[in-house]
Amino acid sequence: MRPEAGQTERELAGAVRDWSAELAPRIADAERQGALPADVIHDLGELGVLGMGIPESDGGLGASTVVFALVLEELAAAWPSLAVGVSVNSGIVAGSIVRHGTREQRARLLPRLMDGSGLGAFALTEATSGSDAASLRATAHRDGDGWVLNGRKQFITNAKYAPFVITFARVGAAEEQRPHAGVTAFIVPTDAPGVSLGPSEQKMGLRASDTSALVLEDAQVGADAVLGEIGRGFGIALAGLDGGRIGIAAQSIGIARAVIERAIAYARERRQFGTPIVEFEAIRFSLARARTDLDAARMLALRAAWLRDRGCPFTREASMAKLFASETAQRVTYQALQVFGGYGYMREYEVERYARDARATTLYEGTSEVQRMVIARSLVAA
Amino acid sequence: MAASDVKFLVCLKQVPDSTVRVKVAADGKSIATDGITWSISPYDEYAIELALEHKDGDPSTTVSVVTVGPARSRDALRQALAMGCDDATLVIADDKAGGLDVAKAIAAIVKEAKPDLVLCGKQASDDDQGLVGPALAEALGWPHVGMLTKIAAAGDGVELWREIEGGHEVWSSTLAVVGLVHKSAKEPRYPSLPGIMKAKKKEIPEKDLAALGVTPGAPRAEVIAMEPPPQRGGGKILKADGDVKALAVELARLLHEEAKVL
Repeated sequence: MRPEAGQTERELAGAVRDWSAELAPRIADAERQGALPADVIHDLGELGVLGMGIPESDGGLGASTVVFALVLEELAAAWPSLAVGVSVNSGIVAGSIVRHGTREQRARLLPRLMDGSGLGAFALTEATSGSDAASLRATAHRDGDGWVLNGRKQFITNAKYAPFVITFARVGAAEEQRPHAGVTAFIVPTDAPGVSLGPSEQKMGLRASDTSALVLEDAQVGADAVLGEIGRGFGIALAGLDGGRIGIAAQSIGIARAVIERAIAYARERRQFGTPIVEFEAIRFSLARARTDLDAARMLALRAAWLRDRGCPFTREASMAKLFASETAQRVTYQALQVFGGYGYMREYEVERYARDARATTLYEGTSEVQRMVIARSLVAA
Repeated sequence: MAASDVKFLVCLKQVPDSTVRVKVAADGKSIATDGITWSISPYDEYAIELALEHKDGDPSTTVSVVTVGPARSRDALRQALAMGCDDATLVIADDKAGGLDVAKAIAAIVKEAKPDLVLCGKQASDDDQGLVGPALAEALGWPHVGMLTKIAAAGDGVELWREIEGGHEVWSSTLAVVGLVHKSAKEPRYPSLPGIMKAKKKEIPEKDLAALGVTPGAPRAEVIAMEPPPQRGGGKILKADGDVKALAVELARLLHEEAKVL
């Protein structure tokens, strides 16, 4: 029983678990090839997963953030690379358009994030601005009715699959006292003139999830490309990241759950010194600690989701959930790998893949250090 | 079959999920059902899929589902609605209701609902009796065609594909007809998330056998004992320590005479 989620929420997550169970035979190949199969993204559209957080009035499911977290946990337990693609598309990208888009933008853009033809992307990071996101250097200048954008956005998840990218660029000059001055969010179609993608990054893990650079060379977009208000883009980015962090927490939880389940199954089967290794206290205590951390992480994530669903402030809680869940995923994947011994180091047993995938969770959508900054700031603020 | 507004009625049974490790109950003649997962019987799922594929091609199609069983069977109907069926009816009956009584109850539902086609899985995965479909056709005085894999409109009737040894046959039938489904072209679809939400909002009317004019008779055939298959013995290992040819001959002899697979 999960007292923290309702019956309907568990049923929706259960449906995604049933569906994702059939992905298993395809994962190793897709990870080797470094791409999510188009038919899998298509099926996620058909299943209504991609539009889960989009309001019913905009054609989505209108599901709660709690559902979003539980569904992402299921996807990540099956396939972390797929979960991160969905988290970005259906969390930060769809959420930003729902919150800040005009009626026309919502009608034009949201269907493309839910029909399974691709996955949306969010471009804030640059080569020289990561945690210090406000120091971004991409620029936007007016050109008649429209805009011309220049710059290079780095490490953009889903870039290769994206019909459009929410791209942050500065209008006017940076100000010393207000580093986020002029930062504006633009909807940049990936087929707009002057837009190109860099080669896909070769990553340690999450290899089927695409990570590419978005290159803007006099990229031309229309007047309708501005999301929200000119100069208010940094607030859009921060609000989007708050929700996105719940997604990454859920993804971390799914990874941790998957490896704990595998470690328990393996420890029951594997015999050493004449007995299944699950009888040894060293193994049992490791599993007990891992499961306790997992449950604590899930409680934190669902608390943040629950607050968000009720319109309460949740920035600190989302950062706590992301921080604790991602560090848990990292630790637990290594604990599980240790249970497998030498076999854990071999590709055949999958635990090594989850361990590599988990490594990214303390880095993206705000490093652990950024989460601690956010949490501390909220604690000591007058 | 009419070009539009075709009405399907799919009969389904809720059975223990295929992943359940079945154990014999203390009474020695039924299975232990505590805490097990229940599902729609797999051939019935194919029947639902066949009907829904028709609906995909022609949205004016209506797909109704019915089951005769205990109250927990409501979950199976809910699952069928989530897959995309339009409406569902639950006929409450004892778990041990005989196939003939189930067929009579469904016949009463059919007379009310007047579907063009009634589809059943060819047999349920729990008792594998395969009785309800033919008994239903008999009770209605309708034709019945088994081993279906495909349905297509043809004039006023339907063409029905049947799987047979090494190929398939195409039959034609007038409407209405009872079809027993062997397989659908595609694997049964997963319920979509919006489908689950819509299914929750639908009322599932409940009827009982008496209201349908069915008085369950005393069983004329019943299960008196049930036992799991015998435990498998250890395998036989031949030592490869000499004449490989003689070893192969011995292996062939054992496969032929003992295992009887050659």
